[in-house]
Amino acid sequence: MGFLVTTLIFVVIGFIACLCTRICCNRGPSTNLFHVTLIITATVCCWMMWAIVYLAQMKPLIVPILSEGE
Amino acid sequence: MRKEKQYKPTASKSLGDNNSGKSLPEPVAYIAWYRSTMDLLRSEPMQLVHLIIPVESAYRSISYLGDLGLFQFKDLNSEKSPFQRTYAAQIKRCGEMARKLRFFQEQMTKAGFSTSARSARSSDVDLDNLEVKLGELEAELIEINANNENLQRTYNELLEYRLVLQKAGDFFYSAQSIATSQRREVEIQHLGEGSIDSPLLLEREMITDPSKQVKLGSVSGLVPRQNSMAFEKILFRATRGNVFLKQSLIEGPVIDPVSGEKADKNVFVVFYTGERAKNKIMKICEAFGANRYPFMEDLGKQYQTITEVSGRISELKTTIDFGLVHRSNLLQTIGYQFEQWNLLVKKEKSIYHTLNMLSIDVTKKCLVAEGWCPVFATNQIQNALQQATADSNSQIGAIFQVLHTKELPPTYFRTNKFTSAFQEIVDAYGIAKYQEANPGVYTIVTFPFLFAVMFGDWGHGICLLLATLYFIIREKKFSSQKLGDITEMIFGGRYVILMMAIFSIYTGLIYNEFFSVPFELFGPSAYGCRDPSCRDATTVGLIKVRATYPFGVDLKWHGSRSELPFLNSLKMKMSILLGVSQMNLGTILSYYNAKSFGNYLNIWHQFVPQMIFLNSLFGYLSLLIIVKWCTGSQADLYHVMIYMFLSPTDNLGENQLFVGQKFLQLVLLLLALVAVPWMLFPKPFLLKKQHQERHQGQSYAVLHNSDDPLEMERDHDSHSHEEFEFNEIFVHQLIHTIEFVLGAVSNTASYLRLWALSLAHSELSSVFYDKVLLLAWGFKNVVILIVGIIVFIFATVGVLLVMETLSAFLHALRLHWVEFQNKFYEGNGYKFYPFSFALLSEEL
Repeated sequence: MGFLVTTLIFVVIGFIACLCTRICCNRGPSTNLFHVTLIITATVCCWMMWAIVYLAQMKPLIVPILSEGE
Repeated sequence: MRKEKQYKPTASKSLGDNNSGKSLPEPVAYIAWYRSTMDLLRSEPMQLVHLIIPVESAYRSISYLGDLGLFQFKDLNSEKSPFQRTYAAQIKRCGEMARKLRFFQEQMTKAGFSTSARSARSSDVDLDNLEVKLGELEAELIEINANNENLQRTYNELLEYRLVLQKAGDFFYSAQSIATSQRREVEIQHLGEGSIDSPLLLEREMITDPSKQVKLGSVSGLVPRQNSMAFEKILFRATRGNVFLKQSLIEGPVIDPVSGEKADKNVFVVFYTGERAKNKIMKICEAFGANRYPFMEDLGKQYQTITEVSGRISELKTTIDFGLVHRSNLLQTIGYQFEQWNLLVKKEKSIYHTLNMLSIDVTKKCLVAEGWCPVFATNQIQNALQQATADSNSQIGAIFQVLHTKELPPTYFRTNKFTSAFQEIVDAYGIAKYQEANPGVYTIVTFPFLFAVMFGDWGHGICLLLATLYFIIREKKFSSQKLGDITEMIFGGRYVILMMAIFSIYTGLIYNEFFSVPFELFGPSAYGCRDPSCRDATTVGLIKVRATYPFGVDLKWHGSRSELPFLNSLKMKMSILLGVSQMNLGTILSYYNAKSFGNYLNIWHQFVPQMIFLNSLFGYLSLLIIVKWCTGSQADLYHVMIYMFLSPTDNLGENQLFVGQKFLQLVLLLLALVAVPWMLFPKPFLLKKQHQERHQGQSYAVLHNSDDPLEMERDHDSHSHEEFEFNEIFVHQLIHTIEFVLGAVSNTASYLRLWALSLAHSELSSVFYDKVLLLAWGFKNVVILIVGIIVFIFATVGVLLVMETLSAFLHALRLHWVEFQNKFYEGNGYKFYPFSFALLSEEL
């Protein structure tokens, strides 16, 4: 699973969540927009966190050096 | 919590309003468009409203508006003292009733009755009837209390009397027996007269005694034990030793009839001679709070009184018990309806209090109210007023009139039980200015997210989740009962904690920590040995043999020697990236603010240079971080950033990450350098120009056509000195610029707390796991293992779940209040406090 595939998964999940709120609690345009904003913000936050950790391990400059005990 | 309840009833109705847009008056339609931007981002549009209400329907109108709870009255009589106002008499009446209710409550708590939860019996109580009823009940209760007190006092006195009779009787009995035995001795000696060794003096004394006999008086009673020594001394001194005092302890406390409190006491009997001594003794007794009781020396009479007293005691006892039963019955009946009455009285009082805020018309036929209400509530308010007019059979209806004003309206966000706690977080910093972009929208996600970055452990996250689910599931039960301070706080923030827990589970999965233990959940580790023998795994290290671990931190890092350098570098860079993103979000919100207020000056001379400055330095740093990760370059980012300022024209050498980096750096540096004066200078000068243009339109335009700024300034000063102070504006802008430029650096550094706290959290939890749980496991001893587990649980709960949650919460709070909100949030508004009965019952 590469970077793009997982990113796509995040996008899809975000999209599905948006649809779900739209279908499950449709309460007028302003509230829907509010829900969508929340979901997008949350998805972006989660994606950023994942992407940062993923990128940092993609081409590691240092590698795990096991402790003596193991 | 309070808010949530208050807004609930209105939320559903108002939604209906929004949808049925056609029937709404014009301003509402405009606002409906405005509202469709986003819930919670802008506070509700408000309007200043003028109500003219006929006197006869005023009370009902206010009462209905209180039920609605969407109108904030302005005090139009603020110069009048409370006594000068129209409804001062009614308020006084309500105050009196409230006093009676307080008296009842006091009596009930004293008697150990709790005011029963709101009784279902809601028979419509009229205020006048209630007043009469309260008066009667109070009189009855006071009478019962007075009677009971008298009876109790008599009862206690009799008890004391009985004690005195018993104890003093003992003295007399023993004294008499001694005396008779002595007399007998003397008589014997008399018989054997002439014996040489008979004491001469005694003999004479004894013989002369009966003739000279002085009548000895006695006073008996009870004296508090702690005073008894002093009492004795004073008696002795006052009478120069011419008294005889006898005391005896009473086992167990006695109830003092005067104070009604339990006290340890002594029974005393004082013998004295003469009237003067008697007076002195009486006074001393009074001073020491010693209760005196008559005492008969005659034995027969003593017995008689004792039986008499005992009889009266038992009689009194039954009377008192009967009185108490009567009283508790009365209190119980009060208790049933107490809450209802209390609420009613509070409502009445608040209605009259509000009525007092209205100014009375000259004709004395109508009351004039002024106040704020949300635009969406226009129809509801009008309906309520119509209803009131109809219900009170008034000839004329109330008039609802929207006023146009330049005054800043109050800020009112319609929140629900989920968003209210987040809004409280923002409000704790400052109430948003009217219709300013509300950071609460993003806080709902970013606050728990930043918390979770510092609290990343999915084991701990699950613990938090379970704890908060307990509160959420039992929500109904908890919200109806009174909670302790801390429980109340946790309960209020249950949805915040829920979000925090969910995000902690997510970040915990990213950090791959479950109580600091990593799991291989998302596929195999990317790292493996260099060769089958794995010789240099502990010296040179493993090698990446597979694709990157797809989700989160590779578990091979855990416990390795290079774990800390890797995690430190990762978390530090992550903090900067997250921080720069959030600060950009804040700056972008300032753009929306400027746009919504139509302030294009702020867009072009504040928002744009700010974005340029922030991103040409820290945006570039973020870019470098990402490029370095993607390319695996060994460039030193510190070096790059520092020499970007010190010698921007130098060759980057081995620190070059991409082609054209030097050129880009030069451009960015120039942009940043340009952005600072751009932020500082244009805005104040343009403001001045705007003001002058406006001013010129009003005054003599021809004379002021010269472009000389100095002359303009002089002119300007002479005209409207207090309206536009250039210096002030300039200094303000200077401060703002310095704050932003320095803040860009210090705020980015401040986001490093994300790194520090998450590091501390993971280190602490791994210490508890390794040094407590694994150590205890190593002993292969059940007792040690159990002790180890207990210590581990307490350390996890106490340190990680409570203290770390608190500290991560506070740091997330700071990041939002300072680093995020100072980019756009003014927070100088004031809150909308509608007149609402729902609020009143919350305060009970």
